[in-house]
Amino acid sequence: MRRLIAFLMAAVLVLGLAACGGEEQTAEQVTVRYGLSNAWDSLMPYNSPSGSNYTRIICDKLYDRLAYVHADGTLDPRGATSWESADDGMAVVFHLDEKAAFHDGTPVTAQHWADTIALITNPSCPALGRGTFSVVAGTDENGCAVEGETLGVEAVDDYTLKLTFKSPTTPEDFLLDKNRELYVLPSHLLADTDPAQIMELDLWDAPIGSGPCKFVEEIPGSQLMLAVNRDYQLGSPDFDQLVITVMDKSNLLPSLISGDLDYYAFGGNVSVEDAETAKASGLEVVEGEVPNTFYELMLNCETIPSAEVRRAIDLALDKEALCLQSTQGLGEPTATDITPGTEYTCTLTWARDVDQARTLLEQGGYDGRTYTLACTSNRSGLAALMQQELAEVGITVTIETVDSAALFSGMSDGKYDMAIASHTPGALPLWFTGSRLSESNNIFHIADLEPYTYYMDQIRAASGWEKRQVLLDKLQELLADQRPFIPLWFGRTLHVQSPTVDNIDYPSSSFSNENIWAWRMKTD
Amino acid sequence: MGRYLRRRLLTAIPVFFGITILVFCMLNLAQGSILDLMGEGSGATDADRAALAASLGLDRPLPQRYLSWLWDLLRGDLGTSYTNGKPVAGLIAQRVGPSLLLTGTGVVLAVAIALPLGVLAAWKPRSGWNRAASALSLISFGVPGFFLCLAGIFLFSVTLGWLPANGMYAAGRFSGIGDLLRHLILPAGVVCLSSVGELVKQTRAACLEALGEDYIRTARAKGLTDRTVMVRHAFRCSLIPVLTTILSHIPHILGGSVVVEQVFGWPGMGSLLFSGISGRDYAVVMGVTVVIALAVLLTNLLLDLAYGLADPRVRYGKG
Amino acid sequence: MDGRRLDRSPWARFRGDRRAMVCLLVLCLELLTVFLLPPLLGLEPNVSDLEAGFWAPPSAEHWLGTDDVGRDLLARLLSGGQVSLFIGLASAAISAVVGVPLGLLAGYRRGAWEFWIMRLADIFQTFPSIVLVLCLVTVVGPSAGNIVLVLGLLGWTGIARLVYGNTLAVREREYVLAARALGARTGTILWRNVLPNVISPVWCSIPLRAGRAILSESSLSFLGFGIRTPQASWGSMIQYASNLTVLTGRPWVWLPPGLCIILTVLCLAGIGDGLRDALDPRFHGEQSKL
Repeated sequence: MRRLIAFLMAAVLVLGLAACGGEEQTAEQVTVRYGLSNAWDSLMPYNSPSGSNYTRIICDKLYDRLAYVHADGTLDPRGATSWESADDGMAVVFHLDEKAAFHDGTPVTAQHWADTIALITNPSCPALGRGTFSVVAGTDENGCAVEGETLGVEAVDDYTLKLTFKSPTTPEDFLLDKNRELYVLPSHLLADTDPAQIMELDLWDAPIGSGPCKFVEEIPGSQLMLAVNRDYQLGSPDFDQLVITVMDKSNLLPSLISGDLDYYAFGGNVSVEDAETAKASGLEVVEGEVPNTFYELMLNCETIPSAEVRRAIDLALDKEALCLQSTQGLGEPTATDITPGTEYTCTLTWARDVDQARTLLEQGGYDGRTYTLACTSNRSGLAALMQQELAEVGITVTIETVDSAALFSGMSDGKYDMAIASHTPGALPLWFTGSRLSESNNIFHIADLEPYTYYMDQIRAASGWEKRQVLLDKLQELLADQRPFIPLWFGRTLHVQSPTVDNIDYPSSSFSNENIWAWRMKTD
Repeated sequence: MGRYLRRRLLTAIPVFFGITILVFCMLNLAQGSILDLMGEGSGATDADRAALAASLGLDRPLPQRYLSWLWDLLRGDLGTSYTNGKPVAGLIAQRVGPSLLLTGTGVVLAVAIALPLGVLAAWKPRSGWNRAASALSLISFGVPGFFLCLAGIFLFSVTLGWLPANGMYAAGRFSGIGDLLRHLILPAGVVCLSSVGELVKQTRAACLEALGEDYIRTARAKGLTDRTVMVRHAFRCSLIPVLTTILSHIPHILGGSVVVEQVFGWPGMGSLLFSGISGRDYAVVMGVTVVIALAVLLTNLLLDLAYGLADPRVRYGKG
Repeated sequence: MDGRRLDRSPWARFRGDRRAMVCLLVLCLELLTVFLLPPLLGLEPNVSDLEAGFWAPPSAEHWLGTDDVGRDLLARLLSGGQVSLFIGLASAAISAVVGVPLGLLAGYRRGAWEFWIMRLADIFQTFPSIVLVLCLVTVVGPSAGNIVLVLGLLGWTGIARLVYGNTLAVREREYVLAARALGARTGTILWRNVLPNVISPVWCSIPLRAGRAILSESSLSFLGFGIRTPQASWGSMIQYASNLTVLTGRPWVWLPPGLCIILTVLCLAGIGDGLRDALDPRFHGEQSKL
């Protein structure tokens, strides 16, 4: 019996070890260990059901994008070296970097970009997230190419790409909005495949892109090993490989402190409190300068049909306390979705007014029903605080903690009455409202979008800051009157600096891009 | 023996179907399907959702989906992941090794601690051993697994800096057995701690029971020393119940490793399962649960057959 | 064998077991505290004290400080105790209510009943329980009531097996055969003759199950499928420790719920051991305790 047990145990150990141990590495390589709290889903950027930032930040390494977006909204060249408006603002011409090449050595040409867009907008291709291309001429509102119309993508020559839009769009507007969802695929490897079969290709198990890192191996959902692309047009870092490991978020900071991680996405974010712990452990913490989170309370205008009740909810919330709870002092309460520090402003202010809220509730005919407030589990404290504040004016709320995907889908299905969400703010006047107050993504369930789209179309068409600002003020007034969503605050972030890697552009990771080509190992 | 074998196999068949039906129904009736996931961030539209539903076969009636799923399962095809489109069997195969290594090491450690401690505690109930056994069981029963993980990380990685806090290898890939063992100690220690309490308890109880049996009393009456009695007889007798406990606890140990793997970023079945549940990738969840359940079923079956082979009483005794 | 113990009633034996009595007393005290103290002290677990601020350290006003939303941690510890003890005890009770009749039927009726009930138990026992619980909780939605139901309903197999094994032995005893020969109805036989003779191991296992359910809830909370906010439970309060700053800098936040869990699980185990000794005098009272 004893021998049997001993044998069994030995067998288990040997089996386990054998299954884990691959071939041994030969040369000593410099590795940067990168932590991530959630898994990416697909390494094919247009096949990600979640469309989450975790997938975007991974695809950012493997594939190239047109530009690099800084946290403050400025743009740097990446796949394209320069860009300019054409055709009276209806089109943008991108001049591509001639040094760019795929990991298999094939140079990246304008044809690759054009083919990629043509493939993804092809209705028979089972691509996800093609809504990105709904701004391009020749597509419907879902981003599918319309038969008989010319798709607004053209490879003018090998290194000149021209995109034509449905409405006038500046290159900056387009890139700020869409850059993180526009990748170039190795279309020379896809040419022989039926678009309907594209996702079945073995290529996506070991993808070939033209990004700053090359695929080495993957344990889906747990670990991704990448090698640095020495031929990347913007240069390459001085380490050899990047190992991305998924672990629970509670282990990210401890691992960084203990030296078992070099960096964690996104931008090594920490709360004010954890920053003290990190500093006490000898790490450096730097405060982000531009707001990089925007918190809002989404409302369901179908189940909360009265604008008075929605305004009452706005007045009932103590944004100052909520903001303090969430950001611990690194945020500014707001009455609008327009990002502070950008060229557009808004004169609206907010103040808590419990009595006014009660009056409005009465006017709105609030019947005492219980609303469902959805939030993600890390914001349950925030939700609990809101619940108390709303109870003060007589609104009862139950809280559902769900994951963020379920939160957004529950909101668009009308399952929840309100939900707490946060977004990465943009510099454009319609960065927030533009995509949400639309027929294809009417997440607030607004019965009549007409008044909003009236202003938004005018803002899009208007040229010049002054005209836009005037129209924007009108739109903001309308929003303040109708309150389909409640802007809460803009927050900044603290970034724990990597103890081992220099030159990381921490804040820009909130736009799902990282300047990995410029990273350098610290020498000491 | 032939009849026993047949009877035992026959009872395993309904259990097998029961497992598959249970897994399939539970996950398919779950509220949120993968389509829910195509939330705001993905920019998906109703048309996209319908297309995805059709491509995943979610538009067919439930019984039909079950039968085709079962047929695929019998051929070793567990379907493809909803989120990354990879074959689930392949995903699981990648994770089996690390999982076996982690739980295997944890259980071996637990047995190595529990057997001697349990015997000593039974042998000398008033000694420090008994108290040590009690204290160990207390930690094992009373402290939640995730707390053990985080306390371990804080103590051994952050404060002392002795052990790595995450992952399986320092450089993402096998680079020597020492590196692997260093990464293994913390998570395996937690797995060991969370299962050792039950084992100590069972060993001790089995030994006490054995001490009361006639033949032990005979042995004692024959004048054998306490030590000989303990080691030769009581310890041996307690082995079978302890082994049974270990095997019947395999599902729980695997379940407990969900938390451990999640915290340490260990690339095992537990973290695969958890990412499947939180990402609503039901193909993966179904695959992992069914593989674990079938593995347990098979282990139990083999164990019963081994018992039957070793002990004729079993063959006629049990229904 | 200690003859002195056999001639007393189980309750008398239990009372004579000092350790088990202490455990029972502590548990009763705990129950009284968590249910009576909040109304007596006027503690509000779900109201933020914004003047005290978030994460306030212990003070005269807030004995255990405040949490991330400024709620009094003592009040939450007590109301969390209500929830945790409820989850533990209620789910163990549900397991027994489901498991005992099924075990009785399988053991007494045998035949098809036995086959299907025990196969069903086999099916449930091949799954890691936390996996089933996670899946079911995602289906029914996380809340204290649902967690009790899921943990309770999934825990029936262990109890059913215990009852089944003993019923198999008891059904052939003379008194059962006699009752059957006298034409008593099956239900009556099961209730009057079989149940009293097979129930004692169930009593022993209920406290242990309760302890385990309290821990399961804690794991669920960690994985994000715990009770509904703003409700508190010990399991969800100890989650604060998953933040490094709280773990190292604010032991008063997570230590009390942690100690409460350990104390409760310990007491429940002690009561279980005591019950076993009292109901099954074959065991030596002194030696079998752990």
